[in-house]
Amino acid sequence: MSKAARAPLRLHPAITAIVICLCLTLTVWKISFIVPLRVAGQAYLVIIVLLAFRYWPPMVRWIARMPIPHRIIFALLIGGMIVGHFTLSTHKFFPFVAWEIFPAVREEDPVTCREYIATTANGKSIRLLVEQLVPSIVQFDIPKDPAAIEHLAHVLAKIYNQKHADDPIQRVDLMVMAVNLHPSSDESRLEPSCELLKHYDISLDR
Amino acid sequence: MLHEQAGPGLLRLTRLGIVSLWIVKLLLDPLWRLAEMPRELYIPTSFLALLPTTAVDNLLTSTGLTTFLILTLFVLTLCLTNRAFHLTSTVAAILLTTYASLIRSFGPAVHTDIVPLLAVYALAGFAWADFFQVKFGKGKFSSSASWSSFPIVTIVAMLCASYMLVGFNRMLTGGMHLFTGDTMEVWTIDASLRGYYFNTNIGWHIAEWPLVALMLRLGLPAITLFEMTAPICLASSHYRWIFIPTMLSFHLLSLVFMNIFFFDDIFLYLLMVDWSRRFPILSARQNDRLHQEPLEPAS
Repeated sequence: MSKAARAPLRLHPAITAIVICLCLTLTVWKISFIVPLRVAGQAYLVIIVLLAFRYWPPMVRWIARMPIPHRIIFALLIGGMIVGHFTLSTHKFFPFVAWEIFPAVREEDPVTCREYIATTANGKSIRLLVEQLVPSIVQFDIPKDPAAIEHLAHVLAKIYNQKHADDPIQRVDLMVMAVNLHPSSDESRLEPSCELLKHYDISLDR
Repeated sequence: MLHEQAGPGLLRLTRLGIVSLWIVKLLLDPLWRLAEMPRELYIPTSFLALLPTTAVDNLLTSTGLTTFLILTLFVLTLCLTNRAFHLTSTVAAILLTTYASLIRSFGPAVHTDIVPLLAVYALAGFAWADFFQVKFGKGKFSSSASWSSFPIVTIVAMLCASYMLVGFNRMLTGGMHLFTGDTMEVWTIDASLRGYYFNTNIGWHIAEWPLVALMLRLGLPAITLFEMTAPICLASSHYRWIFIPTMLSFHLLSLVFMNIFFFDDIFLYLLMVDWSRRFPILSARQNDRLHQEPLEPAS
């Protein structure tokens, strides 16, 4: 009497992949001086997600419905995003960039920030923000080079004065604002503390 | 799967929405003021690094930037007509990449409009794929109405992938110390002090508000978890209904405490709703049943 043929042992490919990934992660931990763990770890997580979708029946059906040109476009876009992320570059291959939003530990105390404070002919104090005077620029860091800082102060004052000819800026101060992370009970809390770094005379610009 | 049944009607609405989003963005942007910025601060982004200096010099004048803005708006308006969409959207994608690269050449990396830009790439790329399949394809994939889901699902997948990569990066780069130390408070105060276009002037006070600081500190791992699991939105409608309000609250709190607002991404949340299930007129099946004309990629 012949025995019933036993079905071969088959693991789901996604589970196999996860096991392989975990084994590789352990290896990478050892050789993380070559590929930093923060990069390799992300790569393994991405592979796991891709494999999960690769074997998810609705996705399989959806991909199967796709003609070849559509598959190429889909692969290029999703692949481009993932490869772009692993270039670790935020500018060079834009829009396929590294997705870094608040990724690093920061623990400075006090927290400081440089800013331009302008004084107009009528004595009014105004904060000059690049993001408001040139709204195309969503975020801006004041440069470190002293010549560039001065040039920028004059440029911002010029842009402001174009709209406020009746009360133009006379002087711009480069200040550093500071906020204590753990303030004492007697500390003033109305405004951040400010310290003058440098001032620029704008009155001769016009 | 989300948008599995999307039809040509929904694709037209998606095209209309994304192109209109860019038109509104450009109309609100006085791009010509960029010409005033000191040139020593210009560090070319992306393919702008390949352009000759004279071309960049001409572009970065008030006239050059105004002309560029008008040209881009004109091409985007042509996209709205849905005529020869594969051509117009490709030109629009190139111009919008130039625009986004230009503004990044004067500042640090920002991620606000990357997914909407990639969405234009998807619309253009799939319009070309439709075009080639109609012209040269074989009979197996004859139902072009069902192709409408491809760009829409891809856009949602890219939105989810962007969140996922942000979450993975934060988790692996920052590690657990990111969630246990003062990092969240430092980021909040730093972003609040900087003051962007929106300036609520609230966030730097959190040092005095321990309960708010605790809420933000607890919120960071929760939001990172939601970011990492964003691709589940493609699979589960239940998860989407948790994900959408959570992430909308997060974006709102980012505006209040950090002056940062991801308007563009929030707009794309509209694609997180499976409209073709709710409104059968937008589904491919209904389209086939009514024997409507399939979406032509190039008319």
